[in-house]
Amino acid sequence: MKDHISNYSLQHFIPSSPLARLIVVTGKGGVGKTSFALALTKVLKDQGHKVVYNNFDQPINEDLLQKVNVDHFQLELIESAKLYISKKLGSEIVASWILKTPFFKALFNMLPGLNQMILLGHLINMLEEDPKLTIVMDSPSSGHALTMFEASHNFKEIFKTGKIVEDIERLHNFIYRPGVLKTILLTLPTEMSLQESSELDQSLKRRDIADNHIVLNDCYGLNEEVVNSQEELPEFLQRKVNLEAEVIKNPENNLSFAHSHCASNSAIDVIQNMVKELANSKEDNHA
Amino acid sequence: MHKPIEIFCGTGGVGKTTLATSRALFLSSQGKKVLLITIDPAKRLKQILKMKDEDAGEIASISPDTFEGFDSSFDALLMNPSSTIQKMGEANNTFKELDNRIVKVLTKPYGGMNEIMAIIEVQFHLKAQKYDTIILDTPPGKHFIDFLSGSQKIKHFFDKSFIEIFRYLGKSFGPKDSGEKKGFFGKIVKSGVNKLLSYLEKVTGETFVEEFVDAIIGLYKNKDSFLMALDFQEDLKKEQFSNWFLVTSVEQHKIEEASELQAQAQGFMHKDSFLAINKCLGPYIEKWEKETPDSDMTHLRNTMRDRENKLKEFAGKGYQKVLPFPEVFHSAPANHVSELAKSWSE
Repeated sequence: MKDHISNYSLQHFIPSSPLARLIVVTGKGGVGKTSFALALTKVLKDQGHKVVYNNFDQPINEDLLQKVNVDHFQLELIESAKLYISKKLGSEIVASWILKTPFFKALFNMLPGLNQMILLGHLINMLEEDPKLTIVMDSPSSGHALTMFEASHNFKEIFKTGKIVEDIERLHNFIYRPGVLKTILLTLPTEMSLQESSELDQSLKRRDIADNHIVLNDCYGLNEEVVNSQEELPEFLQRKVNLEAEVIKNPENNLSFAHSHCASNSAIDVIQNMVKELANSKEDNHA
Repeated sequence: MHKPIEIFCGTGGVGKTTLATSRALFLSSQGKKVLLITIDPAKRLKQILKMKDEDAGEIASISPDTFEGFDSSFDALLMNPSSTIQKMGEANNTFKELDNRIVKVLTKPYGGMNEIMAIIEVQFHLKAQKYDTIILDTPPGKHFIDFLSGSQKIKHFFDKSFIEIFRYLGKSFGPKDSGEKKGFFGKIVKSGVNKLLSYLEKVTGETFVEEFVDAIIGLYKNKDSFLMALDFQEDLKKEQFSNWFLVTSVEQHKIEEASELQAQAQGFMHKDSFLAINKCLGPYIEKWEKETPDSDMTHLRNTMRDRENKLKEFAGKGYQKVLPFPEVFHSAPANHVSELAKSWSE
């Protein structure tokens, strides 16, 4: 008897209603964050939303972006910092001089949290300027995503007063407004990965980031061929699927969605498979 | 052969922590004294070894009955930057200077200083010479490069420009520096620094600049501990000193990621390193092909086999020493570790 995980229903994840302004895709390293972020951007775009993909501080894959066909923009730390400082001091020349000093260069290098806060601030500015825009952020992995969310709190504590603190408060006011921020915690269907995701979920909630969705990726038990096969699964695959089922059946895991394992070794196929599944999930929900 | 330092690196999700732990378990079962340190803020190690958050920063002894089939014990440490700062204060007698609000915020677990402080922490344990081997579980991908380039950043941080700033502010930061620089050049530097600080003050508020300078002086007084990290970096390049394990796994996209990371890390590692391939399905797939040649899941099976083959090809290109580890089908993390530990051999 095959124990297919497709038999277990999940609370369906609807990416578009209500549409958040900033969708942060995180999760432990290597679970497919970039693929998912691109697929989600594509689905939202196809639904007619104004949406862009942002790679935050990660390297970007131009070729893949072109194939998926979504809008994207890339931030450059020094440029973002210059923009910010020149706004504050009213002079671009002074801003670029400041950023060229070894002092500031060293400061940025030693404090990755400061970099992340500047980039996040830049994204928030864009969202404030264009109320129709949604940004899908391909964020750093779990622990480093926490560093990103914590950075603004830490620097508020560090600076105490002054213009930066006013801006940090503005950033917080925006982000913590209901419906603005949605976080997707992408994970693999193993107990170890799930435990890490729920820990991250709890850490985020402690920082008042509550609209979090755990999404499974790469489930062999949802693969079309496996689901439709008339044969017994080979032992190793059956064991894999059983472990997946344990994870999915456990109501404590509170999963929002699960993606199947895509039988292809090409990145674009994997993304397209996700696009299809995300788009269908919406239809399911209407039915 | 075990070495004083063994580094496990790789992109995310390939099983670095599990594999590093299995290596610690294996070496301890061979009678070696082992310390396992995790730098990854995701702290998978905590989960595997059932450690608590409070344990961070303190060496914990892992009890011999943690892993089935093994009865040896080893030590483990979850990196906590604030404990490292404390150790540094003790070692250099700079407690007072490091007792600074800004230093404290930055060395919180998610303050962002993890990678840099980790280099210092490892140094302390190397110097103490209590262990045969120190195993390092590093953060994934880009953050691993951050860790490796940490000592370079430290060097820049203690760049001359800082000294000029302290001079301007009239703070003393060491016995060798005798106050203000004379002459025309000194004046230029002084006015430049003056301007810089006044701009900084405009944006950040007044109290910050003063406290910030104190924080930097605190760190500066521990300069030697930081600069020791540069020697460490050099040592890592020596074959007799370190074993490098680049970990990858037989999953989608992992090959591209591994070769990218390898290219970035090349300048830091030596030639005699290992490629560990985790979660291998090869033998299972072969068996499946033999037993059911005409399966109705051949498409899936072929892509799985292609992936294994591609990885073998990648391994064959750059590595003489390739270590395959089979996928483990267990839900409990401890079982993963003990299964993998059986695959190691000296």
